[in-house]
Amino acid sequence: MKNINWKKEFKLLPGYIIVVLWVAFTAVMLCWILGASLSTSREIFSGSIFKFETGLHWENYATAWQVQNVSVFFGNSLLYSVVSCFGVLAISAPAAYVLSRWKFTGGAALRIGLVIAMSVPIIMVIMPIYSIVVQLGIKGRVLLILLYIMMRVPYTTIYLLDFFATLSRSYEEAAYLDGCSAPKTFLRIMLPLVQPAVVTVTIFNFMSVWNEFFMALIFTSSESMTPVGVGLLNIVNSMKYTGNYGGMFAAVIIVFLPTFLLYIFMSEKIIAGVTGGGVKG
Amino acid sequence: MKKNKAMIFWFSLPSLLCLLIMFVYPVCRTVLMSFFKVESVTAGLSDWGFYGIGNYSKIFGSQTFRTAMGNMLLIWLVGGVITLVLAMLMAVVITSGIRGKKFFRAAIYMPNIISAVALATMWIQYIFNYDYGLLNEMVKVFGGDKIKWLGSDMKFWSMVAAFIFGSVGYYMLIYISGIEGIPLDFFEAATLDGAGKVKQFTHITLPLLKGVIKTSITFWSINATTFFLWTKMFSPIDTEEATIVPVVYLYDTVFGGKGIVTRDAGAGAAVGVVLTVIIIIVYVITQKLFKSGDLEY
Amino acid sequence: MKKKKIFSLLMASALCLSVLAGCGSEPAGSSQSGSTQPSNTQSGGSQAEASGTTQGGGGKQYEGVELTMWSMWTSAEPQAQVIQEAAAAFEEQTGAKVNIEWKGRDINQVLSASLEAKDKFDIFEDDYQRIANVYAEYTYDLTDMAKAVDYDSFSYPCLNNQVIAWTGNLNSIVEQPQVGGVFYDKDAFEKAGVTAEPKTWKEFLDVCQKLKDSGVGPIAQDGAYCDFAFYHQLVRHLGEDKITELALNGGWSGTEAETAAQEIIDLINAGYFVDGAPDEFPSSENKIGFGMAAMIVCANYVTAEVNGNTGTEVNWGLFNYPAVENGAENTAAYAGANSLAITSYSENAQAAFDFIMLLTTGEFDQKMADTAKQIPADNRNTAPAILNGTVETLLAAEVPMTWCAGLHANDDLKTSFKSMCVELFEGKYASGADFCKALDALY
Repeated sequence: MKNINWKKEFKLLPGYIIVVLWVAFTAVMLCWILGASLSTSREIFSGSIFKFETGLHWENYATAWQVQNVSVFFGNSLLYSVVSCFGVLAISAPAAYVLSRWKFTGGAALRIGLVIAMSVPIIMVIMPIYSIVVQLGIKGRVLLILLYIMMRVPYTTIYLLDFFATLSRSYEEAAYLDGCSAPKTFLRIMLPLVQPAVVTVTIFNFMSVWNEFFMALIFTSSESMTPVGVGLLNIVNSMKYTGNYGGMFAAVIIVFLPTFLLYIFMSEKIIAGVTGGGVKG
Repeated sequence: MKKNKAMIFWFSLPSLLCLLIMFVYPVCRTVLMSFFKVESVTAGLSDWGFYGIGNYSKIFGSQTFRTAMGNMLLIWLVGGVITLVLAMLMAVVITSGIRGKKFFRAAIYMPNIISAVALATMWIQYIFNYDYGLLNEMVKVFGGDKIKWLGSDMKFWSMVAAFIFGSVGYYMLIYISGIEGIPLDFFEAATLDGAGKVKQFTHITLPLLKGVIKTSITFWSINATTFFLWTKMFSPIDTEEATIVPVVYLYDTVFGGKGIVTRDAGAGAAVGVVLTVIIIIVYVITQKLFKSGDLEY
Repeated sequence: MKKKKIFSLLMASALCLSVLAGCGSEPAGSSQSGSTQPSNTQSGGSQAEASGTTQGGGGKQYEGVELTMWSMWTSAEPQAQVIQEAAAAFEEQTGAKVNIEWKGRDINQVLSASLEAKDKFDIFEDDYQRIANVYAEYTYDLTDMAKAVDYDSFSYPCLNNQVIAWTGNLNSIVEQPQVGGVFYDKDAFEKAGVTAEPKTWKEFLDVCQKLKDSGVGPIAQDGAYCDFAFYHQLVRHLGEDKITELALNGGWSGTEAETAAQEIIDLINAGYFVDGAPDEFPSSENKIGFGMAAMIVCANYVTAEVNGNTGTEVNWGLFNYPAVENGAENTAAYAGANSLAITSYSENAQAAFDFIMLLTTGEFDQKMADTAKQIPADNRNTAPAILNGTVETLLAAEVPMTWCAGLHANDDLKTSFKSMCVELFEGKYASGADFCKALDALY
């Protein structure tokens, strides 16, 4: 374990250089945002943020959290992301499973429909939905949750479908012989087998809902339902007038940090899943 | 295995409903709308006046829309090639057995979890800044003259570069999960046969990743056609020619931007239809290029 | 490894807690934001006696009335704080209940649809040009109510007349007037030995040279405002009507537009723009705050922006864009506003109007001007120090210039115009004639 195979490492050197440079750039970027979040606007705009001549401005964080309403945006985004991730799975996983396993009337059409829907740009659907929503008077957080769930269904279904398709039918046959019903087989055996894919797709879903911007921009009708993306834009916009850029970057860090930690936490799971799940052959 | 009809029905119904409500109906209505003169998005059918292909001739006759399409095409093609190649490169490097694999993977993906609003602000105010920006500092180190990264010549490419940087991680993750899905014994067998890394990549990795690459191209096409936020951020006061893309054009036409007082939902719908047709074409082409059966290994 | 896991778990749980706290305290949080933020300037003797517009004032005349206002601010902005206070005072005085929903600056995209759907709200805020041109049919005609309080006498007639010119009636009340021109750092002028504000282009060039000699960049220019700046030059030479005509039909070559463009090119060649201009917003305007530049062509909010961004108190002055020789329109100044309007279907239009009056006049307007650093909507109030002279300029303005209106008249080409203006300031064109030739090539 501790033995370093220098020959092997040397061969990998170009690879190391590439990723290290890339990551170094990311780090500089991140440090800058971090530095900016602790600076005054004057320092940011004069390019002297790392000197901290006026000290560390931790109050930026308090301002961002309370005055700029980041707490509200944050709560909203978390609600949207978590609820829609579960909602999407509940709809997509069963559909992906049956689509991958059986040929049935309309199945091919559904599959093609989903693939096409996946490629439908959101602007293509936004206007009619906007008009439905206004007519039905649907408002508030539930609106965005519903939209996000429905928006992510095609992608999630198709993604999982590919993974279900790679599973051997021997599992079901074995379960059938053991007297396990089909829905139960799905829930107890097949779903856990694609767990890595479920985790990956859920992370993708989480992140895309978390960072979704266009729909949020159009359907957010009040501050109480604003998620972080649009919230940050509002902050940036009002920053133009109030000039508290430090507070804005503090808001950025607040929004970024938990997702990052969550990501690190979850990425372990992906690896474990991908390498350990499923018997081959 | 036997078919369980009830299960198939109940398992696929919710997704079918989503498909109908969220996609089929709206798409049909948008397509229909693109042939009518509609001023307001919420106008009922009775307020629509048939317009033939009027909306289409309007947008294609518009200099702004053509510029927007041109920009989008560049983002899709140039940005797409660079992003996907970089992502593949990163994925291969990371799965090549380097140390700190998890760290690098997380770090490279990281820009994706920072809000694009923040990223864009950072690029504009720091990296590209004329006076003290990171790039110009580097240029100074090498003794060059300061460059106006956000001047009218460079602005578009600066924006694309910033966008690429933020996107690579996402596609890298897709490729990594694809590469890791390839059984190790394939590579072991290849190594035993004396195939080098490059050969392994072109003969095993790439062919087996066909499906994943296809998916990533589709995703990229969608991303490129729905490009919006970065343009908004790179044109802080109102829409600029250098950075305009069709969605921004649509947004301005449908909802009205700064100083815009006319609204035209019909033209907006036509923009949507055009973009969708483009995506379909791209999809069909990639489908043809990457013919792949369902792999089971 | 173990440690890392535990750490992550701890972080995750801490995160959950903070999120829960965030969710739970949300309604409190939003109202709190209004009160905890210290208002920098409390206008003296804050008596809740509204400027004589609320009739009687004895009984609670609007008991049971509920007003809903859609605001273009977010609750974190200083404007919101004042609106909140005004609403409380109004509730106190009249017994009406005022609900405010903060929609933010993107309010325009919810407004059209909501108005068409007759959503329940009474008052909304947006750009006055958009209120007049886009939402006109859903707005309440305020002409009579305004007459009853003699609105013209304490507001800015040029803005009101502009609204009437657009829609035929007064359908909005100014909340945040804006004025454009050349904003400058008085100290920099003094240091350079400039004693009088330039009135003509020749004097302006003279001032530029003096500033340059004193070691400061004369003019700051951000790319985002290039079209706005050049528009001034065009208006001076051609007038807005002529620009509109040219923008729609082409034929720029051979007109005074060549002179206008040439004058900008001469400015560049003389080195009168600060290093880096045209820069990315707000880099160039910030240079005024850092003492590196002296003047900028912009609207009044530039003063608050620069002060905020750079943490300095620039000694701001304003003069109208200089007159040019044989100019077609040598006095016009940019004027605009964010205004308040009442929905046409509002059941409590009078109450809504009274609330608007409370907000845009007297004490609350003064407070708004002071905290948000803007021009008072009530011309009897005084502008904050950084906006000295703006009230007078607005009152004196007979012909308001609308934001690049002539260029914007051509929907298809306006973004092209804009980028060509940037190129003009970047020095991409050798002469004014070249610029006009390039403009004509667009048609």
